[in-house]
Amino acid sequence: MQFWYFLTALTLISALMVVLSKNPIHSVLYLVFTFFCISGHYVLLNAQFLMAVNIIVYAGAIMVLFLFVIMMLDLRRNSPDSKTNLTKLAGAVVGGTVLVIFIAATRKINLGTGADNAFYNSQTGMVENLGQILYRNYLLPFELVSILFFVAMVGAVMLGKREAGERNF
Amino acid sequence: MNAIIALSLFGITNLFLGFLNNRKILLPATLLFVLIAFGLNLADWNHEYYWFHNMLKTNNLSINFTSIILVATALVVAISRGFGNDEEHTHPAEYYGILLFSVVGAIMMVTFQSLFMLFVGIEILSVAMYVLTGSDKRNLRSNEAALKYFLMGSFATGIMLFGIALVYGATGSFDINGIGNMVNQAKLQDIMLNPYGPILYGGIILIFVGLLFKISAAPFHFWTPDVYDGAPSIFTAFMSTVVKTAGVAATYRLLSISFPAVYGLWGNPLVYITCLTLFIGNITAVYQQSFKRMLAYSSISHAGYLLITVLAKTPTTNSSILFYSLAYSIATISAFAVLMVVSEAQSKSGKPDESFTALNGLATNNPFLAFVLTVSMLSLAGIPLTAGFFGKFFIFADAFSNVSSLFKTIAVVAILMSTVGIYYYFKPIIAAYLKKGDLEKIELSPIYKLTLIITTALTILLGIAPDLVKNIF
Amino acid sequence: MQQIPDVIRQIPLNNYVWFSTALFCIGIIGVLTRRNAIIIFMSVELMLNAANLLLAAFSSYKSDPTGQVFVFFIMAVAAAEVAVGLAIIVMIYRNIQSIDVGILNKLKW
Repeated sequence: MQFWYFLTALTLISALMVVLSKNPIHSVLYLVFTFFCISGHYVLLNAQFLMAVNIIVYAGAIMVLFLFVIMMLDLRRNSPDSKTNLTKLAGAVVGGTVLVIFIAATRKINLGTGADNAFYNSQTGMVENLGQILYRNYLLPFELVSILFFVAMVGAVMLGKREAGERNF
Repeated sequence: MNAIIALSLFGITNLFLGFLNNRKILLPATLLFVLIAFGLNLADWNHEYYWFHNMLKTNNLSINFTSIILVATALVVAISRGFGNDEEHTHPAEYYGILLFSVVGAIMMVTFQSLFMLFVGIEILSVAMYVLTGSDKRNLRSNEAALKYFLMGSFATGIMLFGIALVYGATGSFDINGIGNMVNQAKLQDIMLNPYGPILYGGIILIFVGLLFKISAAPFHFWTPDVYDGAPSIFTAFMSTVVKTAGVAATYRLLSISFPAVYGLWGNPLVYITCLTLFIGNITAVYQQSFKRMLAYSSISHAGYLLITVLAKTPTTNSSILFYSLAYSIATISAFAVLMVVSEAQSKSGKPDESFTALNGLATNNPFLAFVLTVSMLSLAGIPLTAGFFGKFFIFADAFSNVSSLFKTIAVVAILMSTVGIYYYFKPIIAAYLKKGDLEKIELSPIYKLTLIITTALTILLGIAPDLVKNIF
Repeated sequence: MQQIPDVIRQIPLNNYVWFSTALFCIGIIGVLTRRNAIIIFMSVELMLNAANLLLAAFSSYKSDPTGQVFVFFIMAVAAAEVAVGLAIIVMIYRNIQSIDVGILNKLKW
């Protein structure tokens, strides 16, 4: 299981690089790499369909949108960050504290492995099984997500369209 | 449930009505749609239904919350004036359509039975509000408010999702009854025996951080004044009524159904959060120069009052929350209605003047508007003979009827803070009646005037005979 | 007896909980320390992915597909949020030629 630790370390390092990179384009590329690593974890967890969807939706659609906007806006010009070091330190301390508290709280517990799971079903993460559940039990939220997409579509077109006339502050 | 389906279809209809190039038809059509949804909502009265494999549950409580949301929406639509006559820069069909969609999200938040529905509902409501906040595209303040709201909102969503993931890990369920059953088994005393205890508690805390973000309770309120201030006034009115009611209802539903067994975990932190919310909301409101910003802080403090009764867990909690939400929504909408017309009449170089000084001398030429403003401010302050007085009265009564002495302390803090509230709610009244100004007579359209008459009459009526509505709840 | 994958047999579930918490905290740190709106937004995506990973891990270990269905909803919502968020960012860039949150100070924090 050396590979699991290797993949985990790779994921965490590339996630850190997303946050630390000066250049937004590097951040996006590291983020894409993080998503691929997470997809690797999905394969290890025997959730193949999730892996495919993760790559298609996150790395394929969402990240391309990010890259597209960054290139369209040409963001390299204003790369220096305007936050003071003190705020940065405070932010890092807050994030680190959350991590430390959580690990301290769960340090003692032992959730075990899935080795003795008598009900284990290797088809759990397969597309047939997931489709049965999604379209039977979770039909209503599935349909209502379309409303969300409708709002997002109308909103993005409305906000993104170039507007004639003067700005007013 | 029927209201959700109807409003989804009506929202799409509204977008198509935009092709007609007739801006006049949109306002009456939207108002009609909301009223139809109101009727459909009442059809399930006195029945308990589970819908679509336990995704939604409607009962009288959820129907009441839905009704309040729809009434507030109808009032907001009625004072929207069709978003003006600026053909080029406003898109009323889209605004009304998105408004109806966001109400779908709000109704999902008050009727959810599964965390799937809670999450999707919160997202529909939030994404719609991000768009509407930034809808005044050429105004930099509106842009900035949209960005701030969007970044903070999606941050809160991320926190809440991680909480949901942890709660799922600990209980193995997304159904709120299922979670409640599991939490009962994994009670606090068994924390040493149950390895999932810390995970469950971490999850509960993160979910509530996310929800408190949405209802802008104190340590997580910092986005509220900026967003409420920067958004177009009509959408601020919507946010501070519908979004707040839906958020409080969702919090209450989750706390009372899923997590009553671990009251010891969230009870005490929430008590401090409530006190802090009341304190910050009321004290900071005193220092505001802008009427709109003052209303934003006042909405933070009202979230505090609503949290008191969520915490107190008395048999009358349901009706207290409902009555308070109704009274608060009506009064806030009429305050925003007055603010909108006055600030536009006073606008300097295209920018509406939203400070208290804009109200100077309002009573001289516009006695009706001044009267509406006075009634709504008195109601928000909780002066007798207005609906707000009984709203606060029921909440304080709940707090005092709780055996724990902690609640008597909260009630005392809340009463002190509402006296502070009287000071800043009287500022606009003093400006309107005692200061001198040169505001001319403002012409109101018939539907606008009618809405103001309805809200004012309702505020006074509920202040004289609260039992009219209280008995229904 | 069906074949249980190596990872599920050998790696304790605790590791997944700590791993996704670490990812989540990196996301929080990114939101709190960066000023570039796009990078803040990418950090939020990291937080969402931490939640996804945790749901998928619990779901696989318990062999309960509901958690993986929830992941689909998170992905759908993330896609919708990205569309709206980037539209807001483009709109602001048109007005002020920058997306540094610090420059946006018309409204005080």
